[in-house]
Amino acid sequence: MMKGGWFKVYAIGYLVFLYAPIIILPMFAFNDATVIAFPLTGFSTRWFSAMLEQPTLSLAVKNSLFIAVTSAVLATTLGVFAARASTRYRFPMKAGLMGLIMLPLVLPEIIVAVSLLVVLLGLGVSLSLWTVILGHVLICTPFTIAILSSAFQSLDQSLEEAAYDLGESAASTFRLIILPLVMPGIISSLLISFTISLDEFIIAFFLAGTEPTLPVFIFSQFRFPSAVPVIMALGTVLVCLSIILLTIAEYFRRRGIAKSGGKDTGGFL
Amino acid sequence: MTEKPTMIAFQDVHKYYGDYHALRGITATIKAGEFFSLLGPSGCGKTTLLRTIAGFEGISSGAVMIDGRNMAGVPANQRPTNMVFQSYAIFPHLTVGENVGFGLRRAGLTKDALAARVGEALDMVGLKGYGARAAHALSGGQRQRVALARALILKPKVLLLDEPLSALDKKMREQMQVELIRLQRQVGITFILVTHDQEEALVMSDRIAVMFEGEIAQLADPETLYRRPNSRKVADFIGTMNFLPASILSETGGKLEVEAQGFGKVTLEAEQAPGAASGEGAAVGFRPETLTILFEGQTATDRESMATIEEVVYYGDMTYYDVRLDGTEKPIRISMRNVFGRPVLDIGARTRVAWSPGALVLFR
Ligand SMILES: Nc1ncnc2c1ncn2[C@@H]1O[C@H](COP(=O)(O)OP(=O)(O)O)[C@@H](O)[C@H]1O
Ligand SMILES: [Mg+2]
Repeated sequence: MMKGGWFKVYAIGYLVFLYAPIIILPMFAFNDATVIAFPLTGFSTRWFSAMLEQPTLSLAVKNSLFIAVTSAVLATTLGVFAARASTRYRFPMKAGLMGLIMLPLVLPEIIVAVSLLVVLLGLGVSLSLWTVILGHVLICTPFTIAILSSAFQSLDQSLEEAAYDLGESAASTFRLIILPLVMPGIISSLLISFTISLDEFIIAFFLAGTEPTLPVFIFSQFRFPSAVPVIMALGTVLVCLSIILLTIAEYFRRRGIAKSGGKDTGGFL
Repeated sequence: MTEKPTMIAFQDVHKYYGDYHALRGITATIKAGEFFSLLGPSGCGKTTLLRTIAGFEGISSGAVMIDGRNMAGVPANQRPTNMVFQSYAIFPHLTVGENVGFGLRRAGLTKDALAARVGEALDMVGLKGYGARAAHALSGGQRQRVALARALILKPKVLLLDEPLSALDKKMREQMQVELIRLQRQVGITFILVTHDQEEALVMSDRIAVMFEGEIAQLADPETLYRRPNSRKVADFIGTMNFLPASILSETGGKLEVEAQGFGKVTLEAEQAPGAASGEGAAVGFRPETLTILFEGQTATDRESMATIEEVVYYGDMTYYDVRLDGTEKPIRISMRNVFGRPVLDIGARTRVAWSPGALVLFR
């Protein structure tokens, strides 16, 4: 079985390539040495305590959480409008418009960052957390639209009509029928944009001004070799957090599809 | 018997989708308490017409009246109608009971009163005790019942049903047909059913409007539609009808003297020519079961002709014979109920055929 054999080698190689760095992260985070090298010298949690004592780190975490939560809410709100419009209404040049909205998905992020910077400086806007949020909303919205479109699409239009027919208003129909049925999609969209925003580096680096965000802070710490194990500890925490968030997001996406009786047409996981 | 009052009146209703003329001057009335069907091929505008009653579709000109009130500007959520959707549109995130009670949310009932009404409605559609079930786990037939209960619980003046049985298998469909008729008699509400299935319409309806291309071709009770279709198109759509060329010799005092191929000279009553001239040339039409093949020793009660059997299709309870009457060019179909002990005739056999002028319909 040559064919199967090679495929196995490929699959294992691919998995090692993908996950080895992530496994190395906690290894050195719990290693009792300043230098990142084998052999491991002993188990310690001191890098985690050191992490908690960093004042800039806690500011960076606070900033990043604020940016991520705000971006997620804004991008998801925009996503709801766009997904609703694209699945319910016909309007001229719909395909072209939807394509334009989805463009940031494939645009190099550095281009987005640089052009935003130029425009903002040209307009005389001073850089702050809000300018980062602007950039993050821009790159998260295509994802939220993709997720929410699938949620809205699996919604049978006659459900809305039925509620309306039974005496509800357009607003209460939205609240009682549409919202509960797309809620899993909304939660999944919130979580995914939160994750994207939280670890986004380039836009934050260009647009944050003097405020630190988590990825930017991590990058700056690599100048000091003694700080590297702390970063490993931080990285470990972040990986765990990301995995948990993405799992929750996928869970809600699938539950949404099952609930509205639709078919799974693939998601991000 | 007193005439039932009018529940719905269409007055020259037109509907355009952009350039497409979907409804072309619909004028008709539907009586209170009637089981009314809109019958026609797919795309003829049945659903569109139904949705103009519900208020989901505006009209381009004309008027839709419900119970004497012009519905112009009245939104769907304020019309005295409720709809059973083709997809049933059961709210998947609610229980069966919550679905059924949905329309009563605004009625301000106490919890107990609401539960009683829901229980009553479920009972009526044969789903007693299903209230706590999750709606998305129901079978097709059960969903349909939930949709019915949900619409009827509001006691609308008119219940609108858009192809409610088309998603069910044959057996379930026939069972639901009977149940719908029973339900309609029980609640006495005007039912308007959209269907493309002529048999379903004939079985269930008090009256049927046959639609083609945005127009009502004929509006009548099932028997009239079947026996006296007013055009070849209606005749073809409802059941099978044979046509033979004919010419009108004279028309005096409500009687028509007609020379028909295979039948010779016949005299027809005026009601046997319900249609206007279609320009296709005159023809007589007749249903396959109105002709009878005569076996040894049988005699015709009215008239008889000679014919040759060209095709035999055996169906168990029925046999279809394609026979050519002497003096005609194309075969016609005769359906005969099989009788135990009587042979099925062979292709090529000569036979006598009994018929009656009263069963003929003249198309001009
Ligand atoms: N929303 C719409 N926009 C444009 N055309 C429509 C729309 N709804 C229906 N039509 C067209 O109107 C015609 C009648 O449709 P419909 O009433 O659904 O037919 P039926 O129910 O008899 O099959 C069809 O040709 C259909 O394509
Ligand atoms: Mg239809």
